[in-house]
Amino acid sequence: MNAVDAPVHETQTRTKKKSGKPWQVVVLDDPVNLMEYVSHVLINIFGFSREKAKELMMAVHQKGRAVVWSGNREKAEMYVNQLHSAQLHATLDRAE
Amino acid sequence: MTVGPTVAGGLKLVPETEHDWILLIGIAGDSDSDLAGRLAGLMDEDSMWDEIVAPELAEEFSKQRITVVKEVMRAKEEDDEIHILKGSVDVWYGALNQARLALEDKYKFGAREEVDPKMFEDSSARAAYFRNNFYSHVQGLLLQYVMVD
Repeated sequence: MNAVDAPVHETQTRTKKKSGKPWQVVVLDDPVNLMEYVSHVLINIFGFSREKAKELMMAVHQKGRAVVWSGNREKAEMYVNQLHSAQLHATLDRAE
Repeated sequence: MTVGPTVAGGLKLVPETEHDWILLIGIAGDSDSDLAGRLAGLMDEDSMWDEIVAPELAEEFSKQRITVVKEVMRAKEEDDEIHILKGSVDVWYGALNQARLALEDKYKFGAREEVDPKMFEDSSARAAYFRNNFYSHVQGLLLQYVMVD
């Protein structure tokens, strides 16, 4: 990073932190994890009904990603940690 | 190899040839030790995921691989069957998944309907494809018979 870039990055980071928009837990599609397994993990981590878990799993499969939870960053990171532990591809995003 | 459900609610693997044992021992060999790092790459820098979370996940994934190899080696030495019960199903599923994620990362099989026939000209890719399908089949049986919600 050069000297000119650094202040811009800091400003962007501060802006992100000040925003009150919730954090989203996003599950991403991948060609390995079995569809039934994705549903199974969503049920176990979030306590979704089988129908809700299947609906979200299909959204991941068809759209490439699905928001499965939103709220504060700390809890969102905890959920992503659990999803990674289950070897699902997941990340955090900011609600628009 | 025979694979099937048991009355105890588990799954039984019965290797019958030396090739079957090699296939099972290969689960750990196919796995990628940097899965935790690649998952950390999905997170932003603010999370410090690669410093805080990834090392713990790497250890967890390593334990899965080691546990499966030890169980396969035990069964081989005793010429025994392998029983995957509810208590160990996450470890087995995880180890198989690690192997499949690593094979996908290396060979880019994609979805089954997208597989490029040219891939089969490469013998190592062809062998990896069939191992991947076997691992996937066992995972499907684990989901169906052992990981019941």
